[in-house]
Amino acid sequence: MTETVSGTLALRLAAFAVFVVFFQIGVVSEVPVFGVNADISSLLVAFVGLMCGSTVGAACGFAVGLLVDLALLQTLGLTSLVFTLVGYWCGRLREIRDPQGALTPLLVGAGASAIALVGYSLMEFMLGVDAPVSFELLRQIVLGVVVNTIVALPMWALTRRALEGALPEDPRRRRRRRSYTTGGLSPLIKP
Amino acid sequence: MHDKTVRRRRAVLGLLVVLSLLLLTAYFGEAPNGRLHSVQRDFLAIVSPIQDGANKALKPVRDLFGWFGATLHAKSQRNELLKQVDRLRQQLVADEAEKRTSHQLLALFHLDQLGINDYHPVTATVFGKSPNIWYQTVNIDKGEADGVRVNDPVINDEGLVGRVTAVVADGAQVDLITDSSMGVSARIGSSQATGLLQPKVGDPGDLSLRYLAASAPANVGENVVTSGTVSSEESLYPPGLLIGQVTSVNEETGFKSVNVHPFANLQDLDVVQVLTAGAGTRPANLSRVAASLPSAQSSGAAGEQLASTQVGE
Repeated sequence: MTETVSGTLALRLAAFAVFVVFFQIGVVSEVPVFGVNADISSLLVAFVGLMCGSTVGAACGFAVGLLVDLALLQTLGLTSLVFTLVGYWCGRLREIRDPQGALTPLLVGAGASAIALVGYSLMEFMLGVDAPVSFELLRQIVLGVVVNTIVALPMWALTRRALEGALPEDPRRRRRRRSYTTGGLSPLIKP
Repeated sequence: MHDKTVRRRRAVLGLLVVLSLLLLTAYFGEAPNGRLHSVQRDFLAIVSPIQDGANKALKPVRDLFGWFGATLHAKSQRNELLKQVDRLRQQLVADEAEKRTSHQLLALFHLDQLGINDYHPVTATVFGKSPNIWYQTVNIDKGEADGVRVNDPVINDEGLVGRVTAVVADGAQVDLITDSSMGVSARIGSSQATGLLQPKVGDPGDLSLRYLAASAPANVGENVVTSGTVSSEESLYPPGLLIGQVTSVNEETGFKSVNVHPFANLQDLDVVQVLTAGAGTRPANLSRVAASLPSAQSSGAAGEQLASTQVGE
C-alpha cells in the first residue's frame, strides 16, 4: 500500500499534533478521572496510524513523543520510542486488516493505550527506576486504559474532522468505490 | 513496487527507533548541563509563554471538567471530613493549654516572627502537567527573572508541593513530592523522630515516611511536617511546612514507616508559591535555633503552630 503525504496533510497533522500536546499538558493532565489522567497524545498517534498508515503513524509518533519529552523535560527519546511503535502498529493494522467496524477506534484506542502504558513502564524499569511492580501500579495502568478507551471515540471523531479532506485514501470510500465498480451493490443496475 | 514499499516502511521504522535509542542513550550519558538538556530548557523557554497563554485561555474548559469531578468527589469527602472535624475539635481542646506554653517559648526565641514572607515567596501559576504516572511534574510561569532557582521549595495554601528542578527565564519545572526522584526529610508533628518521605510509585495519592526509629511514636491522623534538617545539615525545605497526614503505620525490621496522604491536592494545582530564599538566609538559620530547642519545647503543638504559621500566611 503506497502512502503519499500531501503538504496539506503534513501541515494539518503538525498543527493538530501541537494543539493536542498543549491541550494534553495544559488541560487533560490536570483533570483526573478515577484518579488517573487520560492520555490523548497516545490516542492521536494511534488514530493517525489508523487513518494514514504505518509510515506516517510511526513518524507522527516520533514527533509527538519528542514534543512531549521536550515540553515536559522528560527523558528525551523515551516517549518517542514508545509512540513510534504505537503509530506503526496501528498503521499496520489498517494496512493488513483495514478494520471498518464502528467500535474499531475504541479497540484500537484501548490497545494503543495499553501498549503505551505498559511499554513506558517497562522502559522505565529497564532504565533503572527503583519501583516495585505493585498492585497500585497495575491498577493505574488498567484505569489509564479504561479512561483512554472512554475518550477514544470523541478523540477519533476530532482527529478525523481535523484531517478530513487531506487524508491519503479513505478506506471506507475505497470500499464503497469497489462495491460500485463490481456492480454488486450499484443502484443503477436493475435486475 | 510492493517490495520497495515494504523496504521503505521498514527503513523508516528502523530509522525512527534507532534515532529514539540514540537520543535516549545520549540523554542518559550527558551531565544535567549537557547539550540535550539545554535544548530542552531552551524549548521550555520558548514554549512557556505560549503554554501560559494557552493555559489561561483553556482555564474555563479545565474548570468545567474539574467541576464534574469535584462534585462527584465532594460527597465521599463530606462524611470523612465531618468525622475529622469531631476528632479535631476534641484535639483542639486538649491542645489549648500546650499551645499557650508554646507561644511563650516561641516568643522567647523570637521565632514567632517567622513567617512565609521571610522566605521571599514568589506566586506562580501552573500551566502544564505531565500526564505520565512516572513523571509527577508541573510547569510554572515564573523563572530566573523572578528569582526562582533550582531546588527552591514549592508550596501552596495546603502544604508542601515539591521543589524546582529546572529553571528558564520565564518558567520552571517543579517535581512534585510524589515524583519518584523526590525525598524530603520529615517528621511526625508530635515527635522529634525524623525520617525520609518518599513517594509510593504508582500511587500518586500516597507517600511513605521511612526509616523512623522503631520506638518513635506514630499515630494515624497525625500531621507530618518538614524537619528542616538532614543529618544536622540544613534541608532544602524550611522546617515545619505541612506535608500530609498519617494514614497507616507499618512496623518493619529495625525501623518504622508510615503512609502519608499529602494535604496538597497535587492533581489539581493552579497557583503555587516558590520560596526563593535559599539555605543560609535568615529563616534558614532560624531553623537551627528551632532544632536546638529542647524536644519538649519545640515538639507537638509548637511545631504545628510553626507549620501553620508558615503555610497559612
